[in-house]
Amino acid sequence: MPEVVIPIGPQHPALKEPVNFKVVADGEIIVRLELDVSYNHRGIEKAAEQRDFVRVVPLLERVCGICSHSHTTVFVKGIEEAMKLEIPRRAQYIRTIVAELERMHSHLLWLGVAAHEIGFNTLFMWTWRDRELVQDMLEELTGNRVNYGINEVGGVRRDLTPALVKASLDRLPYLAERIAKYTAMASKQRTMLLRFQGVGKLTEAEALKYGAVGPTARASGVDYDVRKDDPYLSYPDVPWKVVTDDHGDVFGRTLVRVGELVESTNIVRHCLENLPEGAIRIQPPRAAPKGEVLSRYEAPRGELVHFIRTNNTDKAERLDIRTPTLANWTSVAVSLVGQNLADIPVVVAAIDPCLSCTSRITIVDPEGAETGTMTWDELRAHGIRFYREREGI
Amino acid sequence: MAAEGARAARGGEACGGDRVKALTKDEVAKAFEGLGAVDQPRGNRIRLVTTVDRAREAIGRATTALRCDHLIQMSSADTGKAFDLVYQLTGPHRTVVSIAVEIPRDRPEVPSVADLLPPAGIYERGIHDLLGIVFVGHPGLKRIILNEDWPEGEYPLRKDWKPDPAKFYGGVREGVG
Repeated sequence: MPEVVIPIGPQHPALKEPVNFKVVADGEIIVRLELDVSYNHRGIEKAAEQRDFVRVVPLLERVCGICSHSHTTVFVKGIEEAMKLEIPRRAQYIRTIVAELERMHSHLLWLGVAAHEIGFNTLFMWTWRDRELVQDMLEELTGNRVNYGINEVGGVRRDLTPALVKASLDRLPYLAERIAKYTAMASKQRTMLLRFQGVGKLTEAEALKYGAVGPTARASGVDYDVRKDDPYLSYPDVPWKVVTDDHGDVFGRTLVRVGELVESTNIVRHCLENLPEGAIRIQPPRAAPKGEVLSRYEAPRGELVHFIRTNNTDKAERLDIRTPTLANWTSVAVSLVGQNLADIPVVVAAIDPCLSCTSRITIVDPEGAETGTMTWDELRAHGIRFYREREGI
Repeated sequence: MAAEGARAARGGEACGGDRVKALTKDEVAKAFEGLGAVDQPRGNRIRLVTTVDRAREAIGRATTALRCDHLIQMSSADTGKAFDLVYQLTGPHRTVVSIAVEIPRDRPEVPSVADLLPPAGIYERGIHDLLGIVFVGHPGLKRIILNEDWPEGEYPLRKDWKPDPAKFYGGVREGVG
């Protein structure tokens, strides 16, 4: 059978950002993968150079709809480092609480999406229902469900009252119970085992070589986690551990994420119970002295980096953002080689691409003999059918 | 647990105190001897300032002598006079080793390091798109960030870049279609 080029993408209304893959396949087996992420470039780095430190924060909050808090925290912490400010501990704790709640809603979302991609929609409904609880907590604590608007240079914009703290603490036991259930399912449930084990395999050496970050790398035994490696916010005060796994496949990535859900729940509880008294913000100077800061942050998908240059004004001279998904693409391209076409949805979803996908797949035969079209839904259905026939699930 | 073994193999314990020791400025300066000045802006940030033609040598030494195995970012900036490119690396020692080079504006070329560090491939494509730096030896320096109908030779993150009203930068053209 000749090799065929299968363009996947770039549009899909259900996902956040569009991407286009050109998958070169020999029959059912993937030979090579090329990608194009150009469809959603909004010029935010350029726009950020034009706005002062007060007005740039809401802009950066909109880099991503899921890690909105990650992008503002990494930026304000970089500017605070450039200004040499000491941020009140209470503000750091509040930032940490929101950061970990964000990680929880992101991982629950991922678990649902991964379940959906393998046709396990019951789990998808369950995790998204439970994610709603996290969203409710975020709304109570910050006033917003998506772009929390809690950060500013110098601290946070909203204090937590004792009643709010108690209400959040009361929600945690139920969430912890649900997460324990998902942890048990992830290592036992038959459909998940069949579709996740051995799929998208990345060894520790490959994860390092291809620069994977976050749960993708940690599932291959690479224990990089910026929260430990380059401590920030109140992580040094909180007892927690880096979750790693050595399976290196989608199964391992699932175990790492459910493990992180448990850790995040504990971090949130610890911070709520031990919230220091005091101010939530200090008045920052208007301008930042000339300097260069590499601000690192462990976002739900992995290490997020803002490279910031300041120049004695109230604007950043340069903001260079490296998102975790960009770092993970190289590893996806590698881990898909030799896999089945039917595994694309799962492997791509497994890095939790903060981007998206794919509505239209045109099957092109390089000889020009045959051209067909597949939607992402059809590809997903193909994956489910392929495994149903082969494995009887 | 096998994961423990994997961690031990890399010489570090994830959550204890006895992980691989952080690099000191002297160790880094020794490894980069003859390549340029080394300074330490803060705690775990150590920075080498070198030249374009020594960049590959510096990265080679960082990945071997300093055991850096992770490219955090290739930070880029336009200073108005030149382009700055900073390779940010780290490793089991968790110290960020930065290798900074200055690229002249009139000849924006730098050797590609995609063969030494595979993740650099995708970052170099992004930088080429936005700043117009040419990575010599890159296997496929194709567009990745900007849209396909973006005009050639326009690099929006350059400080002197202004959109040309006569040119089409992509999107929907008024009165067409």
